[in-house]
Amino acid sequence: MKVLVPVKRVVDYNVKIRVKPDNSGVDLSNVKMSVNPFCEIAIEEAVRLKEAGTATEVVAVTVGSSASQEQLRTCLALGADRAVLIETDADAQPLGIAKALKALQEKEGAELVIFGKQSIDGDNSQTGQMFAALTGMPQGTFASEVKIADGRIDVTREIDGGLQTVSLKLPAVVTTDLRLNEPRYASLPNIMKAKKKPLDVVTPDELGVDLTPSVEVLSVEPPAERQAGIKVESVEELVDKLKNEAKVIS
Amino acid sequence: MDLNLTEEQTLIVGMVRRFVREEILPLELGLDPDASELPAEEKDRLVALTREMGLYGLGIPPEYGGPEIDLVTQTLIAVEMSQHRAGLYAPCYGAFGGAGLAQLFEATEAQKERYLYPTLKGEKRGFFGLSEPSGGSDPARAIQTRAVREGDDWIINGGKLWISGADKADYGLVFARTDPDRGRNGVTCFIVDADTPGFHVRRIVHTLRAAHYATELSFEDMRVPSANILGKVNGGFAIANDRLTRQRIPYAAGCIGVAIKAQEMALDYVPQRETFGAPLSTRQGIQWMLVDNDIDIRQSLWITLEAASRADQKQPFRKEAAMAKLVATEAGGRVVDRCMQMFGGLGVAKELPFERWFREMRIRRIGEGPSEVQRHVIARELLGASFR
Ligand SMILES: Cc1cc2nc3c(=O)[nH]c(=O)nc-3n(C[C@H](O)[C@H](O)[C@H](O)COP(=O)(O)OP(=O)(O)OC[C@H]3O[C@@H](n4cnc5c(N)ncnc54)[C@H](O)[C@@H]3O)c2cc1C
Repeated sequence: MKVLVPVKRVVDYNVKIRVKPDNSGVDLSNVKMSVNPFCEIAIEEAVRLKEAGTATEVVAVTVGSSASQEQLRTCLALGADRAVLIETDADAQPLGIAKALKALQEKEGAELVIFGKQSIDGDNSQTGQMFAALTGMPQGTFASEVKIADGRIDVTREIDGGLQTVSLKLPAVVTTDLRLNEPRYASLPNIMKAKKKPLDVVTPDELGVDLTPSVEVLSVEPPAERQAGIKVESVEELVDKLKNEAKVIS
Repeated sequence: MDLNLTEEQTLIVGMVRRFVREEILPLELGLDPDASELPAEEKDRLVALTREMGLYGLGIPPEYGGPEIDLVTQTLIAVEMSQHRAGLYAPCYGAFGGAGLAQLFEATEAQKERYLYPTLKGEKRGFFGLSEPSGGSDPARAIQTRAVREGDDWIINGGKLWISGADKADYGLVFARTDPDRGRNGVTCFIVDADTPGFHVRRIVHTLRAAHYATELSFEDMRVPSANILGKVNGGFAIANDRLTRQRIPYAAGCIGVAIKAQEMALDYVPQRETFGAPLSTRQGIQWMLVDNDIDIRQSLWITLEAASRADQKQPFRKEAAMAKLVATEAGGRVVDRCMQMFGGLGVAKELPFERWFREMRIRRIGEGPSEVQRHVIARELLGASFR
């Protein structure tokens, strides 16, 4: 079974981001970039499937600029067998990415595609779902557990108010939630091996897809500064404020 | 000339950075501000992780089981490993293992069996006993501890000062004078078991470094067999010179890591802190401190990487290693000091790591060859025969 894992290069979660002075976006100059944490979980799951003998090949793919090769190498060091960069300098958006991935999937014919549930930059949580819709593959989103047997995959999903298990016929799409696994550290020998693993570069043109953005960003604003808290004298005062000022209880 | 990291270096650095961030920093929050060790079960868990990463035993030569990794990459790792409160003298609380004493790699096979291998496995600890009350900068002249031959044994009398960790050690290297007339060529290095009769730890010497305190030792008719001589009689200073020079490079790197972390914290803090109606980050007085920090960090980083790169390429690097040690310890001290100033009262509080860095960074200008001695080494390299 071949597993395709789309990953995204994002600002490292530890970086305090700054909005550009002209509000056109987030300032990315000199900022550390990493593999989106949910995508790392996706890679880890795919590698575990391979180690368990369920998967035969793990292919990491990303849509982005040539700088994204660094993130693909990370995936190779974490255990992916090969990587594909769909290279574009355009501002890649969920629908465009999903279309490009669909074109790649038509060539690759993976039986399982594991996405992160969202990327921590835009927090869209759309690409996996759009990809499933475009390809007509069944989807199990926000997975906290997956089990594969007899051509099916059982996905335990984290939903509001509990867990839901869906059983999908392969080929299928899964998106990972935080609790699916804890990604490993890359190891020195695997980092050295990663260099020799294949990393292919294709263009959207070669795949016959158009990545022209369909959504226009008008302005990016930092979130409003939090107001300082206050101290209350008594439980009664607290209840009163929660009721009448914050209006969170009635 | 390409000054970028290679792809592998980027990945290795990223992996160690994540380790510090996810494993060390959260653990450290719960430790005493001066702690230098982890609870045993935590340490074991982290060692298992660094073994999985293939990075355990960093600094141990590959032929002794250490990872196959050049000195430039080791330097980059050391810069990452030290970016936490205990980072100067206990980077990652020892989770990456230690290389032990450089001289032991030049020991006989029997000595290695007894002392080196158990040390590399973390089963034994050794101390390094060179400095004496009479002076540490110029030990070749200052050493007064005497060793006199008696049959196949040597009888050692004298004492040592400032010796780190001797009270917890199983053995140590003791440099003693074996020929009073030959100066530098009259000192021999002995491996001494801590349970040898006549070996005494007289007192703990308290310094700015609360953890890893120093000790004072005295030797009274301490009998050591010839088999425990490391290297040759009267050849104590000829052992492991190259390895000792190499050690200055990760030593410098630790200071750079701490400076980077301190600056990162300051850059985060000054836009938030307001005085006189505006954030500190808008004040030129503050901005220039940040600028000077950045310059200090860069100059130490590049000078240290150059020394490492020369060592990797088998070029002479004694001068560059001395410069790295000198520049990184002094620049590191300035950076930590400026950051403390920007944080005001918080800068000196035990809640934040600056006060520990400040104390320990101060020692770094004295330990492992003080700044003046590094300058002396550099001057000798520059001037050759006309040095004196
Ligand atoms: C916490 C701590 C731990 C230590 N751990 C160990 C250890 O484990 N093992 C060990 O052997 N030693 C250890 N040392 C000793 C350390 O290496 C010595 O303190 C150091 O070498 C300086 O020696 P000294 O203190 O005797 O100073 P001195 O040699 O007396 O020098 C005094 C000052 O004069 C300066 N100076 C010397 N020569 C010149 C010159 N030619 N021109 C200008 N200035 C000069 C020196 O730089 C120094 O600042 C430790 C020290 C400390 C503080």
